[in-house]
Amino acid sequence: MSIAAVFVNVLVFLLLAPLFDGVLRKTTARVQTRQGPPIVQPYYDLFKLLGKERINSARNWAFKLAPPAAFASILAVVALIPFGGKVNALGGRVDAVTVIYLLTLGGVSVLLGALASRNTFAAIGASREMVTMVMIEPILAMTLILGAARSRSLGLGAAVFGAAGPGYGAAAAVMLVVYLLALQAFVAKQPFDIAEAEIEVLEGPFIEYSGPDYGLFRYAMMMKQMFYAWLFVAVFLPFLRTGHYLGDILTQLLGTLAVFILIAVVGSTNPRLRIDQAVKIYAVLILIALGAVGLAVAGV
Amino acid sequence: MDALTRIETELRSRLGPAVQGLSSPQPGRLFVDVERRALRPAAKALIDLGARYMVGIGWDEIARNGTIGLAHTFAFDADHVAVVLRAAAPAGDPSFESITPDIPSAGWSEREYQDLLGLTFTGHPKPKRLVLADDWPAGVYPLRKEVPYNLEPPAAEDVAYRLDEAPPGTTVVPIGPFHLSLHEPEHFAVYVDGETIKGCDYRGFMTHRGIEKLCQTQVSYNEVPFVAERICGICGSVHACCYSQAVEAAAGLKISRRAEYIRTIMLEIERLHSHLLWLGIAGHLIGFDTVFMQAWRVREKVMWLAERITGNRKTYGMIVIGGVRRDITPEIRAGIEDVLAALEKEVLELKRAIIGDSAIHRRTKGVGYLSKEEAVRWSLVGPVARARGLRLDVRKDHPYAAYDDMAFDVPVADSGDVWGTLVVRVLEIFESISILRQALAGMPAGPLLIEAPEALPPLRHGLSMVEAPRGESVHYVITGEENRPERWRVRAPTYPNLQAVPQMLLDNQFADFPIILGQIDPCFSCTDRVAVIDAGSGRRRILGRTELEALSRGPEAGRSRS
Repeated sequence: MSIAAVFVNVLVFLLLAPLFDGVLRKTTARVQTRQGPPIVQPYYDLFKLLGKERINSARNWAFKLAPPAAFASILAVVALIPFGGKVNALGGRVDAVTVIYLLTLGGVSVLLGALASRNTFAAIGASREMVTMVMIEPILAMTLILGAARSRSLGLGAAVFGAAGPGYGAAAAVMLVVYLLALQAFVAKQPFDIAEAEIEVLEGPFIEYSGPDYGLFRYAMMMKQMFYAWLFVAVFLPFLRTGHYLGDILTQLLGTLAVFILIAVVGSTNPRLRIDQAVKIYAVLILIALGAVGLAVAGV
Repeated sequence: MDALTRIETELRSRLGPAVQGLSSPQPGRLFVDVERRALRPAAKALIDLGARYMVGIGWDEIARNGTIGLAHTFAFDADHVAVVLRAAAPAGDPSFESITPDIPSAGWSEREYQDLLGLTFTGHPKPKRLVLADDWPAGVYPLRKEVPYNLEPPAAEDVAYRLDEAPPGTTVVPIGPFHLSLHEPEHFAVYVDGETIKGCDYRGFMTHRGIEKLCQTQVSYNEVPFVAERICGICGSVHACCYSQAVEAAAGLKISRRAEYIRTIMLEIERLHSHLLWLGIAGHLIGFDTVFMQAWRVREKVMWLAERITGNRKTYGMIVIGGVRRDITPEIRAGIEDVLAALEKEVLELKRAIIGDSAIHRRTKGVGYLSKEEAVRWSLVGPVARARGLRLDVRKDHPYAAYDDMAFDVPVADSGDVWGTLVVRVLEIFESISILRQALAGMPAGPLLIEAPEALPPLRHGLSMVEAPRGESVHYVITGEENRPERWRVRAPTYPNLQAVPQMLLDNQFADFPIILGQIDPCFSCTDRVAVIDAGSGRRRILGRTELEALSRGPEAGRSRS
């Protein structure tokens, strides 16, 4: 059962991440009074990209390694998470820090590919990505540490479900607001899609990528989006938990869908910020998040 | 003492006998002929008097009298006067003293004639190629009459444009020749230190079409307006009107009042369209695509309206020498009023959403700043100038068409940044709607077209200005002997405004490059096509009217009209 849950995690994320991306695009289109692409468009995109010829335009191993590394890291993350309300066989052997490391590894892979591609725009994108990572990872870390502090355990289940259960404290409420504000940065959407900013740096880190390599990056990005949307539901919406494995999967997916619609609405009603402006906002968020953890440690 | 007398007195007292001739054949125009050596002091004298530099015009008169002519045009906006300073140099020694050290915005005009006529300008601070391709052979000057319009000379080898030296400690980011924030090919080499812009070199004119040469050698007077309209896909009527006015001025032709009213209506519809288009693009450039889509949805109404009046969504084909081609009937008038009412409501909503959005403030306020003094020094025009506190508007300063009958405000902002240009443009939309209502209500009866005389008198000079949505367009016509202009010079508003962009970029963030360039609403060549290339066969197909219409209105609309 527990081992099967690992496969369920991986399968659900692999299968549904493009669908949620499609919802995102469709919702954005609706806000903009466009028809928008069909909801299944991201599947077509991925099929097309993955079926193309692989071109190593930078001619070095790091450039080739980066996309599979990014994809593998996010795949490992989703294999571990307590999806459906239960800690699975793999998740029980690791702790919250592992998840943070793996997510960072995904980000580092993007940087690796960007720097290996030796392109001016990729370099600008990489420097922006690096700044974003440094400023935004602490918020994720603190979200998990909050749960860990309340339940006095770094275990994955404790970290994820501890923040808002049992009982919704002031700490969790504050962290919920911080997480929502940081959400657009986690999923690289407006106003925080700064590293990829197509009109400025032409997709930044990904400019030299095409075909299957680009497809893997896109796929990894979609999974990452879904992970962050799911994490919000799992951490901050304890009332969606039914106690049944399948029931939890269903409610969490529905919650995730709602979060995606929120991402789309916020993304399409904001212009992109500059990195110098974003950093100031991140800094404030980190401070508030620290405060929330402090509250949790103090037992509020 | 009126303005003309004041200018004349000042020029004569400063230059003495170097002023060879002085005439005012049309109201508000002063043509001054000076000796070649007096051109720079005369230009300086005019600038000291408060003139704004417009553009230079060069022409080949070698066959006639062995000289190459050069004119610089200046506007005294508050006095409603334009001055043309003319001089000539012998073909054997075609050199002038550069006026660019005094007037930076003359830099391009001089470089252009260095390329096209083989003039040289001593003391020019940056005498690089401007218009000609890098591999165009030296010594072939396309605007000289001996050079045929369709000459294809063998390419020069081992030539490349040399970028300006990068400031120490900076890296070069190549924006162009193809980049998402540009809509046409041109190249900005942006020198950045981290993300801060420390300098910029521009190499453009990559799709220079040689329209002036074409119209001076191949087509006739009455055909030029249709070519002129294709100079810009957005301000077509502006160019057709400006050219027609220049010819009418040179020939002393007075068109009917009704035609002037209809010209006014077409020009304002064009402005409505253009400002909504810009608003959308500006949104896109700061990563706000919802503004882009909503503004363009509203813009679509203007295009349908234009189609009802003229049969075309853009490139109206309405304005010709002597008047206009179609009337505005009572039914169409009612249609226009309905659309204006709907438009006003939508734009009010857009305005409320945009002006109050603090996120937009963050991306536009203080960005691309240029002081009022610098704006004067660079001879900026249009909303770009008005956002720097300069109340310049050809419609008020040098009235044409029916603008002398219209009551309207010229919105000005003094923030000197991108935000200012946004506010000015949004407010101008409402002024345009008001002008359109007035023009529809006050339109007198009369003929649409006055026949031009069989043969226009040759070698007359005509200067005309029109306020395009992007600023002042200038056309200069010298009438010819073969039923076509001997010389036709076009200067679109991007020409002066773009020259100041490197200055506006300085010390801004690289992320703001797209909107800083975008604030001038640049128009480079307007030669975009939608081409579909089959990757397998390599077959190339350019999308036509039916397909483009199907894309914009849904497949049924495209089919039913084909």
